[in-house]
Amino acid sequence: MIRFILERVAQLLIIVFVVSTLTFVLMRLAPGDPATILLTAHNIPASEEALTTLRKELGLNEPLHIQYVNWLRDVFTGHWGTSYVSKESVLAELWNRLPATVELAAAGFAVMTVLTLGLGLAASLKISGPLDRLGRLFALLGSSIPSFWFGFLLIYLFSVRLGWLPSMGREDWTHLVLPALTLGAGLGAVQARVLRAQMLELGDRNFVKAAKARGFSRMHILFFEIFRHAVLPIITLLGTNLSFMLAGNVIVETIFSWPGLGKYFIDAITQRDYPVIQGYVIFAVFLIVGVQCLVDVVQTAIDPRLRLR
Amino acid sequence: MISNRSRRSWLICTGVMLLLAVMALSGCASNRTSDSSGKGENASAQQTATDKKLVMAYTWKPSGVDPHGDNSWDVMRSGAGETLVRLNEKLEPVAWLAKEWKQDSPTVWTFSLQDKVTFHNGKSMGAASVKASLLRSIEKSHLAKDLLNVKSIDVSGPLALKITTNQPNAALVSNLADPSTIVLDVASMKDEQSYPAMTGAFKIKAFNKDQSLVVERYDGYWGEKARLAEATMKFITDGNSRLMALQSGEVDVATDIPVDNAEVLKKNDRLQVLSAPSLRTHMIVYNMESPVFKDAANRKVVDSLIPRASIVSAVMRGFSTEASSPFPSILPFGKIERKALDGTAGQLLTKDGWQKDAQGTWTKQGKPFEVTLLTFPQRPELSVMAEVIQSQLLKEGIQVKIRKVENIDEALTKNDWDFAMYSMLTAHTGEPQYFMDMFYSSKSEANVSRYSSKPLESILNSLKLAKDTAQRNAMTLQALDIINTDLPQSFIVHPDNVFGVKKGVEGFTPHPIEYYYITAQSDIAE
Repeated sequence: MIRFILERVAQLLIIVFVVSTLTFVLMRLAPGDPATILLTAHNIPASEEALTTLRKELGLNEPLHIQYVNWLRDVFTGHWGTSYVSKESVLAELWNRLPATVELAAAGFAVMTVLTLGLGLAASLKISGPLDRLGRLFALLGSSIPSFWFGFLLIYLFSVRLGWLPSMGREDWTHLVLPALTLGAGLGAVQARVLRAQMLELGDRNFVKAAKARGFSRMHILFFEIFRHAVLPIITLLGTNLSFMLAGNVIVETIFSWPGLGKYFIDAITQRDYPVIQGYVIFAVFLIVGVQCLVDVVQTAIDPRLRLR
Repeated sequence: MISNRSRRSWLICTGVMLLLAVMALSGCASNRTSDSSGKGENASAQQTATDKKLVMAYTWKPSGVDPHGDNSWDVMRSGAGETLVRLNEKLEPVAWLAKEWKQDSPTVWTFSLQDKVTFHNGKSMGAASVKASLLRSIEKSHLAKDLLNVKSIDVSGPLALKITTNQPNAALVSNLADPSTIVLDVASMKDEQSYPAMTGAFKIKAFNKDQSLVVERYDGYWGEKARLAEATMKFITDGNSRLMALQSGEVDVATDIPVDNAEVLKKNDRLQVLSAPSLRTHMIVYNMESPVFKDAANRKVVDSLIPRASIVSAVMRGFSTEASSPFPSILPFGKIERKALDGTAGQLLTKDGWQKDAQGTWTKQGKPFEVTLLTFPQRPELSVMAEVIQSQLLKEGIQVKIRKVENIDEALTKNDWDFAMYSMLTAHTGEPQYFMDMFYSSKSEANVSRYSSKPLESILNSLKLAKDTAQRNAMTLQALDIINTDLPQSFIVHPDNVFGVKKGVEGFTPHPIEYYYITAQSDIAE
């Protein structure tokens, strides 16, 4: 296990270095001058002197390799550079927004997991039964309705028409309900179909027949024999989706004015806030690879055969 | 049989999932905002005259509350900041923190300050503190530095300030209305635990990054006390989300309502749409080095074919006015007629050597009249306008290729375009000088058309020296006459500022200058 973790950490460091370097180069090659964007934010023209001074202040007039070395130095000194826009440490900026992102991701993940397990198991109990048909309908809607449209639909119904839930912001738990549903419902409905298919496929295997022959109850066979095996690919899917949720969901955050990392990152790209973009990429790689490691550990715990691979 | 070890693993996994669900539902983060907006009428019914609160859905997302940084406009709009000079509805400079002023020489101005003004931390405002504040704004804000062009600031009395500029700057007084010159107690910026101490009718109560700015009534205010106890600006960057927050009653006012949604609000009897002409101009900029548009006749033809009236009614839904210059007609120097074409577009093109081919396209020396029009996604209405213009020009035999670019300013530095959609705030202090210097000086990076005119630059240099308002307006009109003759740009429309407001909100008047949103007069009926 220790060797496995050490290998993963080494891989993580290589991935972070390669991805952040690529991002650094690509962002510098992309069109857009941060100084112009900052100084003309209100569409008021800026003087050449002001632009030149700001470019110098931001170090944008330095050669690319010097900018890269400066950025690496900032990373290793621990504050990951200074945001062009807020003039604050990038690490602090990301850290301040992480709780909101984790909160939304956890709530979305909970919705997704409950729907995946609930709908998936219910649909697999009776093929073409009412629950199976309902699951198919949800999966169709979940995969075809864009999340921004679904989000507005929920706002219109629960905030505008019924007045039950707030439409935006992050103040108390009620503000979390609609964004979490928007984030998790579609994915959950789709994954439920995957779980159903897995359950049905495993239902004819020999180990299930053997369990039936030994007289185990239907529920015992369903949960402790079939589901245990069927859930492995689902955990991979759940982990992948959790990674993306943790990296921030820009659409949901924009619709619900949720103060998370996703919207912050997109704003940083628009404003060409290079240090923030770089910092976010490192952050996102750590999150995604970290979650994947967690998925591997959980899968290994559930299926000991994986340790032999 | 299932082993104990496997069962334990299974239980751990289930436990982790349940824990995540519990964390999500209970809310795992700190730093929650404590301001409660209430839900529409229910909240306002419980309010008394002394604790009225207003909630505004605000388009932008300031990164901080330093009035001398990039967020000066947001601070000004919250009612917390004030400048020496304010602009009235006619966009004339009127006294605010400065009681009066006089120009001693082309480069020297003396300002007398209001007495009994205190900062939000209780300190008195005097000439020394205003000087420190102005020097800080010049140091922190490139715009303030350019607008004021200050050589020195001297305290000539407890409430008297002498400002000396590097060059004659007749626009100085109006430029002192720019939010980048908000007056604050500089010492208050050293305390990281408190918010900047300014002089407005409201003081900052809480700033929640990415979420809201909350201001509360400042009881020590030197002028008419605020009618509201508290106002909250909620940062909602999406137009549809702002609209829905207004419809659900979570906010009382929503800024920058997309014009397509204005009709929806008009049908709601609890809400109203307020609008005011803005100082923004949607325009076409011509590349004066383009093979086609270096010829003024071709620019004039295209200008004459722009269907401005259709754009006002169909694209802008009536929330704009046709443009005939960079400046809207609400400004005294904006009242100028577009120059009529001498004949029809076809006649002018024929006279200029163009001929129609079999397909009905104008050609000259075997080359078709084919031009590239740039547009960009940040202002969606401009892309729609581009398509309307493309269709109109095509009817007349002019081929237009539309190219959408992600960053318009970057694209305009290259030379592979003929004309481009553009939008500028042209007289943000009610003065033409700054915009024209930046946009029409042949040395300026902001002169995206690469237009050069010696007579125009001569007028702009004289404008800096002109003190008398009538004389300045006349000189600006002369400059605009040159611009309308040379046509480096075609001015299309001046869009309105559109707000959605709950009925019962008072003292919220859209202003052409986009600085003043929440004021001492803002109120909400019980």
